[in-house]
Amino acid sequence: MRREMREHVPSVLVATLSAAFGVSLLEITAVLGQIIAADDVTGRSKTVGILLGIVAFVFIVISIYVGAIVTANTFATIIAGRTRTIALLRLIGSSAASQRRGVAHEGLTVGILGAVLGVVSGTAVTVVVVTIATATRFVPSLPYTFVEPVVLLPAVAVVLTTWLASWVGSRRVLLVSPIQATGGAVEKSRDEVSGRRGRNVTAVVLFSVGAGLLGLGVLVGLVNPGGVLIGLVGGILSFTGLVLGAHLVMPPALRLTGRMFGSSATARLAAENAVRYPERSSRTTIGLVIGVTLITMFAVAVASYQQMILAAQRSQPEAYQGVDQTLAITVGVFSVLMGFSALIAAIGMVNNLSLSVLQRTRELGLLRALGFTARQVRRMILAESAQLTVAAVLVGLVLGVFYGWAGAQSLLGSIHGSPGLIVPAVPLLLIGIVVAGAAVLTLVASIAPSRRATRVAPVAALAVD
Amino acid sequence: MQTHNAAFDHDEAGLVARVSRLTKSYGAGSNAISALDGVSIGIRRGEFTAIMGPSGSGKSTLMHIMAGLDTATSGQAWLGNTEITSLRDEDLTILRRRRVGFVFQSFNLVPTLDVSGNILLPFELDGRRPARDEGEWIDRLIDSLGLRDRLRHRPHELSGGQQQRVAIARALATRPDLVFADEPTGNLDSRTSREVLSLLAASSTDYGQSIAMVTHDPIAASYADRILFLADGRVVEERGRSTAEEISSFMLGMEKAA
Repeated sequence: MRREMREHVPSVLVATLSAAFGVSLLEITAVLGQIIAADDVTGRSKTVGILLGIVAFVFIVISIYVGAIVTANTFATIIAGRTRTIALLRLIGSSAASQRRGVAHEGLTVGILGAVLGVVSGTAVTVVVVTIATATRFVPSLPYTFVEPVVLLPAVAVVLTTWLASWVGSRRVLLVSPIQATGGAVEKSRDEVSGRRGRNVTAVVLFSVGAGLLGLGVLVGLVNPGGVLIGLVGGILSFTGLVLGAHLVMPPALRLTGRMFGSSATARLAAENAVRYPERSSRTTIGLVIGVTLITMFAVAVASYQQMILAAQRSQPEAYQGVDQTLAITVGVFSVLMGFSALIAAIGMVNNLSLSVLQRTRELGLLRALGFTARQVRRMILAESAQLTVAAVLVGLVLGVFYGWAGAQSLLGSIHGSPGLIVPAVPLLLIGIVVAGAAVLTLVASIAPSRRATRVAPVAALAVD
Repeated sequence: MQTHNAAFDHDEAGLVARVSRLTKSYGAGSNAISALDGVSIGIRRGEFTAIMGPSGSGKSTLMHIMAGLDTATSGQAWLGNTEITSLRDEDLTILRRRRVGFVFQSFNLVPTLDVSGNILLPFELDGRRPARDEGEWIDRLIDSLGLRDRLRHRPHELSGGQQQRVAIARALATRPDLVFADEPTGNLDSRTSREVLSLLAASSTDYGQSIAMVTHDPIAASYADRILFLADGRVVEERGRSTAEEISSFMLGMEKAA
């Protein structure tokens, strides 16, 4: 039981982060609303308040969605690791359905625990941020109210989505056959994975429909800010398509980056390892793709938003007085909150890499026996980690630029004095930060696995299980 | 790396490996379990030697220490004239890479590399390509082991016997001082077992490859030039080439005596 709870630490952390993110975002939006209402210039214009509300809603939906995907993936990974135990229980006579219900029950517990922790820590973060902001006179000192009943919404949503995610992630339980208790369970090879027609079709359809809606959102956005809502639906659908079809998208991306590491034995083995279980490496990287996409999307959206607001400001200076400050606050606050999704992704990545090393003990022992030095093993793990990060970052950057542009475009295409369609504004500083962050993540993610890998004795290769 | 021992030249004695008063125990104090209890043996150059014994006799531990995979509690082990129990991990690794070959029970190929990649792995680990004469040797091995049309296959596409032939090719590719085989037929059917054992025996007679094979199977041991029997961490008997029947009856006698 204790071991099971330990396996769930990443999921609890993810649920906590999503709940904290939602709660904090709602509270900060409320605070921003109060600042804007108190301001003479912006207070008169209702548009800003409505826009803020929409933006907050969009971000909360996104954060909960990310949390759910990472949780579903984490659960799938946990189940993969538990295959033997599940098979043994099935062998003794437990039904697959009851096994799956058990996993879903764990998911509910994780969700509730995460939501409670999230409400508490999210509120704490908001209070600290606002206190600091008021103390430094960054925002005016007003009698802010933090805890409103509405903050329970993201908490409830996190509980429900975590529960749902654990149910979806535990699908594999149904595939475990009792006989697997007696032998080693093998993950599906690439051919089998690609062969799953239904899932692939769903992924492609979702992606196409979503992309279409996203385009529609951008067009509608040219006349009405409501276009962003169409765009949101399109974004979620198309991204869900990408996540579902990750096993089609990620392995080629991984293969491509694998070539960048040269042709030494270490690099070639690392490149092959990164794609040997396409399902698993897709799972590992998709979390990071989501994180990078989100951060990039947000930064590009804000940069494009700034670009559009500035253009609008130039053409109608009187209507946009005082917007600069609000914008600065928005950027500051959201940038901090956005770091959360990267954290969620990092947890998933470290977890998966550790697991893959753990399941390769035998092979690592073989390499050591055949003459791989400890240093070569360490370099191999580092290269694997780097390959996963680089592929995820590249895909995430491309997607993020596109989604961010679509978001800003559909939200602001219709505001007074807007230039209409714009080229996405890509903040270079952001790309620098993302790349640096990815480098740090690569190193951090490889520390524990490579320590474990170098500790594998060559004799492990000779052990018969 | 050659540390000459003035008192004993292994090359002159025709020995490719030797251990002297080797002990290995697990645990400490009154709980200590002794896996090897003062074992001293020599493996002759160019011969196919079988190390036999029932489960728990210490034969695997002995092989692990001789191959530089495990450390001894006391005593010494030489590969050629190199005393290996005092080597650091890095030097041991390079020694295994260049001077030792392995064939394991569970085939143990790297699943992500194809047949050719697996055979060339020891060279790749060394960061070099096979030299011209090495290339010719490997070509000969590939042909004689019947792997020519399998070079681009991955291990999971091969039968057990084919996988073990790939492992043998890999073990022989670097022309190591000594090939260690650990129950090489343990996972094979009897026909494939005979084939693999004949290949090992042939590489010894035809190419002068020194081989040390750990096994508990009398039929496997009957392919060897020389058989060492271990029981309870000690060498109890040494015999020349014997039939499976002779080996079996000796093993049974050992069991009864115990």
